[in-house]
Amino acid sequence: MSPDPTAPTSHAHSAPGVRVRGLTVVYKTPMGELPAVSNVDLTLAPGTITGVVGESGSGKSTLALCLLNAVQPPGRIAAGSVEIDGLGDVVELGGEELRRARGRHVGYVFQAAQNSLNPLKTIGKQLLDLGRSHGVADLRALVRDAKDLLARMGMDGARVLDSYQHELSGGMRQRVGIMLALVLNARVVVLDEPTTALDMITQATILRIVREVHDERGLTTLVITHDVGAVAEVADDLAVMYGGRVVEHGPVKEVLGDPRHPYTQGLIRAIPRLSGDIGEARALPGRPPTLGTLPAAGCVFRERCDRRMDVCDTVEPVALTRDGRTVACHAAAEDADRRLTAARRKEFA
Amino acid sequence: MITGTGITKTFKQRGSVLGAREVRALRGVDFAVEAGGAVSFIGESGCGKTTLGRIIAGLETYDSGEIVIDGVPMSGLGHRRRQPYFRRIQLIHQDPYSALNPTRTIHQTLEAPLALRAKQTGRPRSWVDARATELLSLVGIDPGYVLPRYPHQLSGGMRQRVVIARALTMDPEVLVADEAVSMIDVSLRLGILALLKDLRVRLGVGVLFITHDIATARYIGDDSELYVLYRGQVVERGPTETIITRPVHPYTQSLLSATPVLHGLELPGAERVVPTEALDPGGSDEGCLFAPRCPFATQLCVERRPTLSHDGTTLQEHACLHPRVRSVIPVDAVNRAEPGTEQRTGTEADTGARG
Repeated sequence: MSPDPTAPTSHAHSAPGVRVRGLTVVYKTPMGELPAVSNVDLTLAPGTITGVVGESGSGKSTLALCLLNAVQPPGRIAAGSVEIDGLGDVVELGGEELRRARGRHVGYVFQAAQNSLNPLKTIGKQLLDLGRSHGVADLRALVRDAKDLLARMGMDGARVLDSYQHELSGGMRQRVGIMLALVLNARVVVLDEPTTALDMITQATILRIVREVHDERGLTTLVITHDVGAVAEVADDLAVMYGGRVVEHGPVKEVLGDPRHPYTQGLIRAIPRLSGDIGEARALPGRPPTLGTLPAAGCVFRERCDRRMDVCDTVEPVALTRDGRTVACHAAAEDADRRLTAARRKEFA
Repeated sequence: MITGTGITKTFKQRGSVLGAREVRALRGVDFAVEAGGAVSFIGESGCGKTTLGRIIAGLETYDSGEIVIDGVPMSGLGHRRRQPYFRRIQLIHQDPYSALNPTRTIHQTLEAPLALRAKQTGRPRSWVDARATELLSLVGIDPGYVLPRYPHQLSGGMRQRVVIARALTMDPEVLVADEAVSMIDVSLRLGILALLKDLRVRLGVGVLFITHDIATARYIGDDSELYVLYRGQVVERGPTETIITRPVHPYTQSLLSATPVLHGLELPGAERVVPTEALDPGGSDEGCLFAPRCPFATQLCVERRPTLSHDGTTLQEHACLHPRVRSVIPVDAVNRAEPGTEQRTGTEADTGARG
């Protein structure tokens, strides 16, 4: 189903890479400025789909907004950079330059596309607005492209462009959102909760469309979701966020099949599944942290962790990368060392 | 115990000059929820599952059919005389963020219905506070922490537990949980499901669980029954585990096939069914309702409407003219294949078990 991530697709040479480095986003609160995203490094390889999963308050939506440099006050990007090939550091962009980059370079499908369309204008009118605001000379070609994209997603383009949003079903609106994000030929696409509030069958259809359009157009795609299942189906890579940190990152099959961070392990055990032993599944104890309850020092997950050690209270674990897997955990680092020693011993024996 | 027979409900859309459009939300649904039992209704949006939940909770009228609560048929009673019966059925809303009054503390939220309950049952006022504390402990939250707080100070999982505690103030016989976990963080979902299962055992309260995510229905108890609804008709009914592992109706199979596969942990089922897309949501009313989307439909399906019945070969009842078990659900990949090697377990041969 999902292509081998090591074998580049035919478009990979043209798909842009995205490198997030040391990104910190703070929100102004009565308790001072608190970090929603804290010193995050994340690389999106060109031509891949990366899924970011996290619970409420994990900072995943804030991270996604940073790709557009669109964090709204009282939030602000306090440090770090977001490098996109062919565009530069988005954090440094501003004003007219930034406005043009949004939509052209980076397409964004908003959370609840259901509510992000203008209820007073037909989809076609909104498409023309988008074209004009980006100075598209040939609006006829734009409409043609839009119709092609909609047809590609299994809809009657002409009918959809003449419709108001209330005349479309949830799955159709989500497809319109994807069309609007892609019609200006953006090569980096961010989808924020693309399947939330959709039915299972519609969700499966949307995920298949995301995968197909991604492959055909040679995109670099970021999918933000709270639903591990939704990304497991489409993504090549999976990043797990907790308390504003990326705690684990790697190829999706490896992360799901052999999770190394205790949070990832607990999260996977907590998914209601169709297969597997019901008795083994259990909820994670405790609850996700909010901005106000994040500990100032040490590991952010320690309160809910079943492998908590003394060092976790004082020292924040750094993200270590080994064999293409990145994990930020003291216990997981110990495990990795042990595996390495065992492997060496075997070699000498 | 609550039973329903032949419940129908048709919504008429008014306002159109060209005549009213009718939506047949329920087309003769039979059901039964026993004390301490569990029944799940699954289906897509628009299949009628929420309407059914609202009818059972007494919030919606029905056109024909009969609901019997503890042996008393509801259709013979006037509105006022029905109230005490329907009060024994409490609804848990989908969205714990909007189900609680934001200007009231949890204490105030629980106090109002408990004061009413105290009056009804002739208990003293002092019972109210004791009961509030008891109920919050029962749903697994610390009363001392929660009682003085406002809803915005609580997490989604805690709020849902408060909503459940509030439903329990009425000593209900049945809890109707409409998508009760879909807005809860994934890491906490199983906690709420385990709580519902626990309440069944400890209080003998029945649970009517409405969801679009079949996987969650497994977790409210292995003795639960599953009803699959499509356009207002029950198309498959039986023990939850049976329907999930051996589904016979192509619509049930489509729903199960659409559940995402956790690659690396699971392998996709060998015969996943993808339905054709619904072009006209109204659809034809002739023959099998699912026929226009069914990949296996024949001429017979267009002509004849199958009814829900046992055909003697399966544990569950189904409404399909060409029933066939298909393996559509994911297979556990653990112990079956080495990570990284794509192994199809299409046949029954269990390749990994020998290794």
